[in-house]
Amino acid sequence: MKKSSLLLSIIFMAIIVNYTPASAASRIAVTINPPSIQANMGDTITYTGTITNSSDVEVSNIIAYISLANITQGKESPMDLEDWSANKAVKIETIPPHGTYEGKWPMRLIDSGSYVAYITVVDKNDNTPVSSMMSRLEIQRILRLNPHNVLPIAIGEPILIGLIFAAIALRRRKGIV
Amino acid sequence: MVIRVENLIKKYDERTALDGLNFTVEDGDIYGFLGPNGAGKTTTIRILTGIIRADSGQVIIEGHDVFREIMEVKRLVNALPESNGYYEWMTAYEYIEFFSNLYEEKKSKQGILKLLDDVGLNGKEGHLIRSFSRGMKQRLGIARALINRPKLLFLDEPTNGLDPKGRRDIHDLLIDLNQKQGTTIFLSTHLLDDVERLCNRIAILNYGKIVRAGDLREMKGKGTIEDIFFLSTKEGAQ
Amino acid sequence: MKTIYIMQKEIRESVLTPKGFLWYILTSIILSVLSYLFLTNSELSLLDQGQMLYMIMNFVTALGILIGLIFGADAFAGEIERGTLESLLLSPVNKTEVAMGKLGAALINWGIIFAISLPYLFVVCKGGQNLLFGIVYLAILGTLLTITFSAFSMGLSARIKSMKNSLIISFFIFLLAGSPIFLSAALRGTWFGRILDLINPFADAINTFDSVVIDNQGFGYQTGRVAIICGYTLLSLWFLKRSVSRLEM
Repeated sequence: MKKSSLLLSIIFMAIIVNYTPASAASRIAVTINPPSIQANMGDTITYTGTITNSSDVEVSNIIAYISLANITQGKESPMDLEDWSANKAVKIETIPPHGTYEGKWPMRLIDSGSYVAYITVVDKNDNTPVSSMMSRLEIQRILRLNPHNVLPIAIGEPILIGLIFAAIALRRRKGIV
Repeated sequence: MVIRVENLIKKYDERTALDGLNFTVEDGDIYGFLGPNGAGKTTTIRILTGIIRADSGQVIIEGHDVFREIMEVKRLVNALPESNGYYEWMTAYEYIEFFSNLYEEKKSKQGILKLLDDVGLNGKEGHLIRSFSRGMKQRLGIARALINRPKLLFLDEPTNGLDPKGRRDIHDLLIDLNQKQGTTIFLSTHLLDDVERLCNRIAILNYGKIVRAGDLREMKGKGTIEDIFFLSTKEGAQ
Repeated sequence: MKTIYIMQKEIRESVLTPKGFLWYILTSIILSVLSYLFLTNSELSLLDQGQMLYMIMNFVTALGILIGLIFGADAFAGEIERGTLESLLLSPVNKTEVAMGKLGAALINWGIIFAISLPYLFVVCKGGQNLLFGIVYLAILGTLLTITFSAFSMGLSARIKSMKNSLIISFFIFLLAGSPIFLSAALRGTWFGRILDLINPFADAINTFDSVVIDNQGFGYQTGRVAIICGYTLLSLWFLKRSVSRLEM
């Protein structure tokens, strides 16, 4: 029994050692920071993605992009980042053996809710994309009733115009027998 | 001679509105310009006051050629058009003041009030025109036409749509104007009662031509004004 | 001087009757709603201030053009239909003086609309880039476009003498002028779209606003478009003069 177990283990190890994976998972890893963010609507936050080449060979021409998914109860959906970020994807020319690349993904927070953000790396020589862990993003709605002191103008000007015309009409009516 | 019209022709596309019109109006006349609807009365007045152009002919008013010296003519004459509209949002005073400003000699406040008084609108100067009756509006229109103290006043159907009292008031006003201020009046109408009450000379127009003209008293010796009118327009039609 | 009295009359009519008042209060209410949305709506508030300024400038210009067209359509046809033009023409004023008075009033109306929009521009775009440049360009191009469209509409009104028809044609012209908004960005980018944009004075104005406010480009970049707008203004004035000289009741 022991012998057969040992044999199986040796075979398994041999398979693992001899197998050259098509997946980049073995040589590229990606992390996202910070692991969670709490912010307000309208704020600008920045995610940092660290892509590590753990292999002995250089990787080149890889693409890294950020994704956002809405996980708010009842609103679960992937997000179109069109309005959120101007630079969603980056192309990385090379990462030397055992080297790292650090990318920044600034993002403007357009809508409130619970989201997860993650960075995915695609290497054209591999079959499987590599993704980071998910970073939780909580965006609070802030109610701004009077930004830029707009209310006095927005309410006041139509009222002022109305009052001016009412005064003209009243004055005219008084003047008319 | 206040008006001399020679061979006046006006065509609207193929339709001839005035077909070689000739007549004269003397100083101090109340000249009745009669004719059925569509005879060309309004077109004649509009040409004589420079509102529209004639195709050919000559019009001399107070020695000025209407087609060449229209601004001179406008200073000497005035008119109350048939369908005269009003700036209804103005008061009577504002209305007269506005038109008075368009003349070289602007009227003073007293002058405007006097003018309104002359046409029987005293005390109404501060009223909005939209509150006026048709008769009051006609009076206001006449007041507007008197702003420049015209030597010649054109009136196009001035009593149309007025009740008997309104018509009588306008008659009295015109007689007063003619006799006291010496204004020559050119009165276009199809109401024979107006003609009999007001005019000393008349011309009967039919299909753009004058079919009869002359002294009203002389004509009346040959029959009633109604007979003359119907006979003339019938002849004209033939 | 007579032109001034006619202009005064027209302005008094705007101020003393609902005709003008409704436009002024409507402008103010729409700008209030627009400004409030720009600053509080979750998505609109994230637009940068240059973009907001540009959008308000477009709106105010379009409103100026629309009011110019409507007042222009009323200028002669409205007076003929109400029976007031004949009295006016019986006075010793010529038709060009009447037209200039009415055009002057249309410009004053544009001035009032512009003045109404100023507080909104300052509040919404406070501290934003090119605010003052934007306001100067809005004043100049808005004035030129008001003259262009009002004069054209007045000329039309004098020619066809029907308020209803003048209004219909004016609205059609307004839609035609605003058509770039309906064209896709891709179509506007083609040579055909660029020519359409260039020959449309309203499109010239909004492209100039875009260039000045958003792209920070100087006057040198705007000369072509401004020259085209000036050309339209002169053409419209010529059309008005010609139409009015032929005006008959």
